[in-house]
Amino acid sequence: MPRVVREAAVSWEGNVARGAGGISAASSAAFEGLGFTAATRLGVPEGKTSPEELLAAAHGGCFTMSLANELTKAGTPPERLDVRCVVTLDEVAGKGHHIVHSAIEAHGTVPGCDDAGFAQAAEAADATCPFSALLRASATVTVSATLS
Amino acid sequence: MATERTMTTTWHGTLLEGAGTIHEAPSGAFGPLDVSWPSRAEAPDGRTSPEELIAAAHSACFSMALSAGLARGGTPAERLDTTATVTFVPGEGITKVALSVRGSVPGLDEEAFVAAAEGAKTGCPVSKALAGVPEITLDAALA
Repeated sequence: MPRVVREAAVSWEGNVARGAGGISAASSAAFEGLGFTAATRLGVPEGKTSPEELLAAAHGGCFTMSLANELTKAGTPPERLDVRCVVTLDEVAGKGHHIVHSAIEAHGTVPGCDDAGFAQAAEAADATCPFSALLRASATVTVSATLS
Repeated sequence: MATERTMTTTWHGTLLEGAGTIHEAPSGAFGPLDVSWPSRAEAPDGRTSPEELIAAAHSACFSMALSAGLARGGTPAERLDTTATVTFVPGEGITKVALSVRGSVPGLDEEAFVAAAEGAKTGCPVSKALAGVPEITLDAALA
């Protein structure tokens, strides 16, 4: 199998309380110079992204592709999937800030697939999505799946 | 207090022939971003991927943790430039993250900078979430 390599670049100026950084997609150039700060990471976003928002995009995107693959393998390729992912960062006593939870909520329009089949495909997608497996080592990952 | 961040992805069709969109971030900071399997597994062609987003999250989280550690040590950073490179092997998973940082930190020597960077690599929340990755490397030096 080919190795796929993707890179991102960050510049940060100043201390953590008052400093600010910029995040760029170095491999694809799909986004550039996204601002982030400590205050907007932990509080109200105020138009700025955060590591957790990017992880929610990564996990949601990864799971969605796995689910499309599982449904296709089962003979019922999806017409449309809508997947929401919520990543939670919390302060854990004695251990500082931790990513404690990622919640996936999948809705699908899948001709020929019933509720049980969709739930089964979602379970298989969670097992094969490489990012679900990684997160599960240190956080809880929950998946709910409903046909639209 | 817990902080939640939500993203939504829409996909049409099969994995190999279909395509998806990561919706505009609720923060308003980026998106919508197109994604597809060919652009994830082969040349990006201007499209991001879960692995690039993980690289973005990790480099940002690491930079913040390092800036916090340097400030705690009494030598706040003037500037940090970090890259994270994520390697993905389809069918196997995410096999490696390589972090590289160059810092401008008045009053700090190389050895202390490397030690602070090692601390950030171990302690930042995204590093902890990615602890299952077989190999996480760090290349740290003063600019």
